[in-house]
Amino acid sequence: MARNSGPETTARRLPGDLAIWFFILAELLAFGVFFVVYAFTRANHVELFNAEQLTLDRTSGAINTVLLLTSSFFVVRAVQVAEAGFSRRAAPWLAAAFACGAGFVVVKIFEYAEKIGAGISLSSSTFYMFYLSLTFFHFMHVILGLVIIAAMWNGARTGRYGPGNMNGIETGAAYWHMVDLVWLILFPLIYVMR
Amino acid sequence: MQSSLSSPRHASSHGTPNRAAIIWAALIFATMLTWMVGERGDAGPAVTALLMTIAFAKGTLIILDYMALRRAPLMWPLIALGWMLLVCSMIGLAYWKGLAA
Amino acid sequence: MKYTSQSVALPYFIAAIGLFVGQIVFGLAMGLQYVVGDFLFPEIPFNVARMVHTNLLIVWLLFGFMGAAYYLIPEETETELYSPKLALLMFWIFLIAGAATILGYLFVDYNTLAEMTGNNILATMGREFLEQPLLTKIGIVIVALAFLFNISMTMLKGRKTVISIVMLLGLWGLAIFFLFSFYNPGNLVKDKFYWWWVVHLWVEGVWELIMAAMLAFVLIKVTGVDREVIEKWLYVIITLALVTGLIGTGHHYFWIGTPGYWQWWGSIFSALEPIPFFAMTVFAFNMVNRRRREHPNKAAVLWALGTGVMAFLGAGVWGFLHTLAPVNFYTHGSQITAAHGHMAFYGAYVLVVLTIISYAMPLLRGRAANSQRAQVVEMWSFWLMTISMVFITLFLTAAGILQVWLQRVSDTPMPFMQVQDQISLFYWMRLWAGVVFAVGLVTYVASFFVKGESKPLITP
Repeated sequence: MARNSGPETTARRLPGDLAIWFFILAELLAFGVFFVVYAFTRANHVELFNAEQLTLDRTSGAINTVLLLTSSFFVVRAVQVAEAGFSRRAAPWLAAAFACGAGFVVVKIFEYAEKIGAGISLSSSTFYMFYLSLTFFHFMHVILGLVIIAAMWNGARTGRYGPGNMNGIETGAAYWHMVDLVWLILFPLIYVMR
Repeated sequence: MQSSLSSPRHASSHGTPNRAAIIWAALIFATMLTWMVGERGDAGPAVTALLMTIAFAKGTLIILDYMALRRAPLMWPLIALGWMLLVCSMIGLAYWKGLAA
Repeated sequence: MKYTSQSVALPYFIAAIGLFVGQIVFGLAMGLQYVVGDFLFPEIPFNVARMVHTNLLIVWLLFGFMGAAYYLIPEETETELYSPKLALLMFWIFLIAGAATILGYLFVDYNTLAEMTGNNILATMGREFLEQPLLTKIGIVIVALAFLFNISMTMLKGRKTVISIVMLLGLWGLAIFFLFSFYNPGNLVKDKFYWWWVVHLWVEGVWELIMAAMLAFVLIKVTGVDREVIEKWLYVIITLALVTGLIGTGHHYFWIGTPGYWQWWGSIFSALEPIPFFAMTVFAFNMVNRRRREHPNKAAVLWALGTGVMAFLGAGVWGFLHTLAPVNFYTHGSQITAAHGHMAFYGAYVLVVLTIISYAMPLLRGRAANSQRAQVVEMWSFWLMTISMVFITLFLTAAGILQVWLQRVSDTPMPFMQVQDQISLFYWMRLWAGVVFAVGLVTYVASFFVKGESKPLITP
């Protein structure tokens, strides 16, 4: 925990609110369990998983990875700008981050539409059950993250953040990076690795 | 529990713009690598190890720099990195089990 | 007590305790019927006793929740209740309707009761926990709506705190999900599917919000820890409870004819359901350790800590024991379920209601805390009831493991009734643990009548 001990303090400090970090840990645990269950289930149905994995659109998965990473970069920039004392200048960075996140949602909707059009559902096979469940669970997190970024954008625009008040923007940023982090495992695991 | 303790004088946890940009470039490069492996259709224990290592490396950058846990109390980066390591190695283990089967 | 209208909570709490006593009486009768099958037959057969036991539990917990809401909402919103008269009127309506229903179960044949109360107009009866006649169900909805109207109007004119918002959210959820008790599709799969929307989404969904809000309220009062800190915990706990609890409904959809993916969804998400309960335990102990004042009501602190621990054990650990589909394949509907049900209801909901009663009752009776002697008696009752409940749970778990083994796992499975004979020893031991529980309950009631010098109420 930070102690404001002096001007040149280098005390270690957890960015954002402690509560969000407990929440992030619980989320990581949930995703972690889901990933590991997927992997061990696959071990019993390797051929099925390998065959059906080929029907997934790897390129749209990769594009989505790029979108999330870029979005995370923009959020980092917004936090840096706010920390330097220019809350209002953080707003365009957050808008850009939102746009990338929204891009993710659009790509994902096209991907789902294609799969549903091909008659694929949760009951089609164990692989598709996992593919749809895991990506949809993540998808819901992206939607929530977008709501949080919109709120941060609004806060930045009204000049709320600054070196003396980083709690809100750091809290939201931590959540958004978590959404990114779990996708970094999800993408190779479900789309690529065979 | 911590309230907003950030004072104007605390050392920045969030690095410089240049550093953030370089990390972004590295993350994109790693993503391209993963995508290429997928397009080539490579498989096998070495590829699994490579892909999980790439994922772990990317995750480390996100955790330490973007999430800014590098300067957080040691417990936090350790938990996050430990989670990443555990999940990646469990996945690796499961793939290895799939080979044997 | 800061607002005079808070006093409407008093009759609710008294009724809750009274019905609690009734619940335990029928629990004991059933405990005996497990081993002496024709006890009280044909006057009160097992199925009727069970209906009364479970329905009384639900009704007295609802009395407790409503009393808690009437107590804490004025204090949180810093304004008098919108209509204390309406609250008292609803109390009598609910009490009379509840009593009439229980008497109906006891003295009228269930089929006749169904005919008398319009079940042929809209069939809603005959389903576990939702056995109430149509008229009672409608009565519950009316009481709930009037109650929510009263509480919501109070909140609209007063201060809006996180605790009161979470409480209100939970209570609205409770009312809304109850509406599914009127939906009784002919298709048995659909019937069960939506039945869980009442049963599961109550106890593993919206009730958890009510519980967290009540616990947070008492902890603020007895520890003096900053509201800001407690509110953050509350946010984390309710989010975790909702994420795991809502999708965790899937652990009831393993074997009822629903699609196979529920086995995955139910297993994974309900395996995480202990997390919010664990967070609640950490929360309670953390707040008490960081207390800024020594509240004279030590008993209330004990109940609050007990809630954290027992809810985690009963709902969290004992739930996890049989929540994974491959395990549940064997344990489904065995005595393990009964073990979990007993400790979860006691640990989470009975204890949280007794916590708020323990905190609020002395204040409602015009003192900060009961006398030392009364508190000692009350704490004795806590330990008697809690320890005997642990033993009830352990005996039922042992019975369940043996039952699953003999009846389902074994290469030469035995028929149900033969297995019941084999495990009757555990049923006897459960019965004796139940007797100790009843002694604890009597001690609890007695603690209200212990005289002594009580701590005076100092209004700051």
